[in-house]
Amino acid sequence: MNVATTELTRRFGRTMAVAGVTLDAGPGVYGLLGPNGAGKTSLLRMLATVIPPSSGRIRLLGHDPDIYRQRRQIRRRLGYVPQNLGFYPGFTVVEFVEYFALLKEMPSAEVHRAVAAAVERVGLGDKAKAKLRTLSGGMLRRVGIAQAIVNEPELLLLDEPTAGLDPAQRVAFRALLRDLGQRATVIVSTHLVEDVGAACTQVALMDRGKIVFHGTPDELTARGVGTTAAGDAPLERGYSAVLAETRS
Amino acid sequence: MTSDHEVGADRVSAQRPAPRDVDLDRVWVGVAAEVWRRRLGPVERLAGRLLRSPGLARALVTTPSLLLGWVVATGVVLLAGVLATLETGTPYVALLAPAVAAAGIAYAYGPGIDPAWELSCSVAVSDRLVLLVRALAVFGLNAAFGLAASAASGVATAVTLGWLLPMTAVCALALATATVARSANVGVAAGVAGWVIMILAGQAATGRISAAVTTSVLWLPYLTFACCCAAIVLYTTRIPRGTS
Repeated sequence: MNVATTELTRRFGRTMAVAGVTLDAGPGVYGLLGPNGAGKTSLLRMLATVIPPSSGRIRLLGHDPDIYRQRRQIRRRLGYVPQNLGFYPGFTVVEFVEYFALLKEMPSAEVHRAVAAAVERVGLGDKAKAKLRTLSGGMLRRVGIAQAIVNEPELLLLDEPTAGLDPAQRVAFRALLRDLGQRATVIVSTHLVEDVGAACTQVALMDRGKIVFHGTPDELTARGVGTTAAGDAPLERGYSAVLAETRS
Repeated sequence: MTSDHEVGADRVSAQRPAPRDVDLDRVWVGVAAEVWRRRLGPVERLAGRLLRSPGLARALVTTPSLLLGWVVATGVVLLAGVLATLETGTPYVALLAPAVAAAGIAYAYGPGIDPAWELSCSVAVSDRLVLLVRALAVFGLNAAFGLAASAASGVATAVTLGWLLPMTAVCALALATATVARSANVGVAAGVAGWVIMILAGQAATGRISAAVTTSVLWLPYLTFACCCAAIVLYTTRIPRGTS
């Protein structure tokens, strides 16, 4: 398993953001759904080794992120797009992607080719030399995705990656996710249920820090059949039905 | 002039599909990698060799307070200090250098100045290591500038060397505050304010404005204070456990 967590918790002051998450994930695309404040971002930040858990066990790519050397090994094979990415306005697209490729300790000889491949893969080849301050929000999002995939990660964590992308870009992005999910574990936190339906092989629904549903998108859809749950699409009705059931 | 034969050959080659065993995407990526390749400057190349890490070297050369504009500004401030010292005999360089260095250190690295800080915390090159390398480089450069300016202003050796320890303490204060407050501006304000208070206190106690840099009895407190601030930085930049 690329991701194995046991009773993972994360507390911020008095708030329990993640309240005992047990999750096993191998290669594939995993959608992480849930309302605002459900704990999705905190869970992703723990998986990205940015913050440690308050309690519980976590193993990533077969390593323990609590141990410095092993954490470094994990980070070399990790791709992460945080919710608020942050950019250096004076960097070009290529410079930004290259900077993070180097910080991920990719072998120098591979960096230039990997950067070019990542930039092309997100469709920014014609903007490769453009300064980040001149790019639109959607383009910046794609730059963020390029830096995440530049090292061909085995664990890719994406927090709201499609925010700011137009419909055509989202379709292309879903195809990219499916492609990456062939060999890597891709965990995508999103509010957009249609992204999950189109790209994910598994879906987990979080509410109040816990995973309240784990299964395939079809299984989530089935939970909404025959209910009066709100939603314009079958998957949305399934999502609403599970949430309503959990909270009742 | 181009013959009909050559034009015909060009048309044929333009229409001819690529051989099946040629992956044009792969070829293009190879071309793009060469076209987009960033040429390393001599400083980055040297830093890469010394640090044995291209990532750390890149992080070093992108330090905000080591960029050309900042370095020039530092030089201008210290030059003004040299001129003022030569004019008045008051060791302005010694009084200015710690404050200038503190500002540079506060702007070296951290969540307050790095827009992609969250991402930086998920990469293999440790953020602590980046902080250490950047802080040392900024300190070293400022110390070299300060020493040169101090020597040029012709003050006594005691004054020339006397500000190095206070500079260390003020830099450590600026770094610790910037790290705790997650704001470079707060770090600069704390460093400069701390130094101004020291100068005024020294003047009030001895009647000499240069007392803060020339009083040897202060050296141990400066060093102790710098160590405490360094400990705060180490504590703040650890990977927090529990309930932060």
